[in-house]
Amino acid sequence: MTSSDLAEMRELFLNTPIPLSTRIMALWVSLLLLGMVLWLVKRRLLREQYTPIWILAASGLFLLNVWPRTLFAMTRAIGAWTHGSTLFYLGLLFLVAICLSYAVRLSSLTLQVKNLAQEVSLLRERIESGGAGLNESTIQKPAM
Amino acid sequence: MSPVTQDPSQTQQAREAGARAERVLLIPAFNEETHLSEVLCQVAETGLGLGVVVVDDGSRDRTALLARQGGARVIQHPFNMGYGAALQTGYKYAHRSGATLVVQMDADGQHDPREIPMLTKPIEEGTADLVVGSRFLGDESYRMGFARGLGRKLLQAVARSFGLSITDPTSGFQAMNRAVLTLFARDSFPTDYPDLDVLLAARRCGIRIEERQVSMSPSPRPSSIHRGLGPTYYLYKMILSIWAGTVGYSDDPVGHQSVYGKEVHR
Repeated sequence: MTSSDLAEMRELFLNTPIPLSTRIMALWVSLLLLGMVLWLVKRRLLREQYTPIWILAASGLFLLNVWPRTLFAMTRAIGAWTHGSTLFYLGLLFLVAICLSYAVRLSSLTLQVKNLAQEVSLLRERIESGGAGLNESTIQKPAM
Repeated sequence: MSPVTQDPSQTQQAREAGARAERVLLIPAFNEETHLSEVLCQVAETGLGLGVVVVDDGSRDRTALLARQGGARVIQHPFNMGYGAALQTGYKYAHRSGATLVVQMDADGQHDPREIPMLTKPIEEGTADLVVGSRFLGDESYRMGFARGLGRKLLQAVARSFGLSITDPTSGFQAMNRAVLTLFARDSFPTDYPDLDVLLAARRCGIRIEERQVSMSPSPRPSSIHRGLGPTYYLYKMILSIWAGTVGYSDDPVGHQSVYGKEVHR
């Protein structure tokens, strides 16, 4: 198979229209995601500050569905053969980015929890000891 | 000139606290009921007059009870957070109590409290800020496995390249002054195991570090430092945190900024 055959074959893939059923399903998925996010916010299960990224993802999917030409152009640009692979690629990028951002958030939460727990321990000690300072004379008397 | 600025409000706070121990012995403990009483007895026998603080890192046994019976002040973590976090709670406590000298030793009985004066001497004389008790300095009677020995040599070489000669960076037997305490109370202090990374970062802050030879009985448990993590991960983590620490420390304003950025591990 020559390279011109390959290019021709790629053109064939690139010009394949997206089936109507796929577009309808994508439409449903984007609307479902949007509805899910709004519902979670309404139920106070999701804080507003975490919603933009999901709203953007749902809108992105919706817009790609409305203007599939954007997707076609992207497929050409990244050198993929099928529009499906472009979607997978974008999806993976999105997941990696969101995981990384959660790891960052988790790290700062870990630090906050540690500092809080230390603070609680120190305050508890202060209450239990009646605020008495650590002093050298009261210590060093083993009870055994 | 001390590189670490002392917070005047905290020293004031400490002064108001009245008669408080200026010299603190810090013992982090996690499920140490088998050794702790004996360790506290040994400490009492030395008659050094240190205020003893046991930080109980969420033990599920009688550690806290035995520590109280042994005459120590006990600080209890609500849950287990790691050796480094326990140490740091102790540092914070000592700092707020106005301590000027802190000695730390392990609760498992591998350190001999009679050797404490050896560690505190350079600090009292003002020739060092941080003194690390080393099992390897001079004496080679302490045995360790081949892999650990190799890893140790490698990290020593890294330390030397930064101008720090240290033979036992993981030693839990240390003495320090208030400048070091201030530094170690920062968010950058690791919650798992402070190691060479911490010493190097301290050195970059101008802390004078010295080593003294101490005798250590082999830890009764298998290597507590490398437990659960393979030596490869350990090396990786050390190199990463040394790199992050040495790059980030110097620009760090005193206070709440992190040395390694946000704490990434644990």
